[in-house]
Amino acid sequence: MSASARYRPHPDLRLTALEGEGVVLHLGTRRYFTVSETGLAILEALGTPRSLDEIVATLQERYHVTPEHARSSALAFLDRCLSAQLVTREEAPD
Amino acid sequence: MSPGITVQCDQPTIRSAVQQYLDEGRLHPPVPLTLEIEVGEVPPVPPDSAPPFHQPQLVFYPGTRPGSLTIVWETAPAQARLENGSGRARVILSPAAADRLPECQTGFLMMTVVFLLRRFGWHHVHGATAVDRRGRGWLMAGNSQVGKSTTTAFLASRGWPVGTDDIAFLVPSAGRVAVHAFRSRIGLRPGGLELLAVSGGVFQPRRGKTVFWPEELGGTWVERIEPEVLLFPVIGGDRTTVTPLAPRDTLAQLVRWSAWVILEPQLAQEHLDLLAALGRQAPGYRLELGRDLFSNPQLIDELIP
Repeated sequence: MSASARYRPHPDLRLTALEGEGVVLHLGTRRYFTVSETGLAILEALGTPRSLDEIVATLQERYHVTPEHARSSALAFLDRCLSAQLVTREEAPD
Repeated sequence: MSPGITVQCDQPTIRSAVQQYLDEGRLHPPVPLTLEIEVGEVPPVPPDSAPPFHQPQLVFYPGTRPGSLTIVWETAPAQARLENGSGRARVILSPAAADRLPECQTGFLMMTVVFLLRRFGWHHVHGATAVDRRGRGWLMAGNSQVGKSTTTAFLASRGWPVGTDDIAFLVPSAGRVAVHAFRSRIGLRPGGLELLAVSGGVFQPRRGKTVFWPEELGGTWVERIEPEVLLFPVIGGDRTTVTPLAPRDTLAQLVRWSAWVILEPQLAQEHLDLLAALGRQAPGYRLELGRDLFSNPQLIDELIP
């Protein structure tokens, strides 16, 4: 995975928030998931496709966390989202 | 008063029966709705349909034109076609479907109405409605196996206003979410009849249930509530318990009990946002129904703080 790969929401994802947390629904797989405040912040940030570095910067702007912590949290969440087809990752062209 | 939903059909017995069923529901949709029913050969599904989503006995084919939808009933051939922005559904029943009209009404035509209504902002949820002694609206969401009907009948027998034991519509209302009930008879299985110690009603062999209007149980009917309490019942053991849910778990439960209707792509976001608004409006609780509720009925008045 290159550092410039960009994440974007899957076209079948629908998201809504309640008191800082959220529920996402995948229309294709017909599964739904609850997401934490951090997960919601990441998914909302993906309104514009973003790289991991940009997502980490977004989390750091929002929370007082180290870059390492923000990166590991974001990576863990994005990996779960990729498995559930909630987001897609596109490698940047060479 | 306008029935709100008009049935057109050149076969008077079908028109009359379906119109009566819908009139009894006492829905007042935001725009007049029409079911144009004909009996004949059911055509193939339009070839340009998007991938369908399935439910028992029903298949939904979203069209490639935004908001268009074809609903197919599989019990006996029948089809309904809906278009975005239109309050009309064109329904074709095969003679076999017409021969099974009561089943067709509840299993297929009602779903056609559900999908017509959501084109005008009314979104279906599997839920029962009631008003407690403090005047708070209760929405109890869940499938048909969790005790909604028994609880609704129980509340009616305690004199509470109740709206429906299953077919409810979420409606945005001046910044809040209201729930409109489709009035239908509350159906009790033999176990529910025994728990409530009620007699009378009308036995429906096809459903294996005895059905009652709320008034026959001692209650009244309420058309509309604004929920202040959201309950997600499950059948429990001896003791009735109530457990508060975190907001996101409340929202997940609301999605769960709307999940298959919500899947229509065009309106999924609107439906989801309405559920979130409902979750902000009212706290959610897991309600484990125990036998003590029926031996000590006044317990229900103290359950929700």
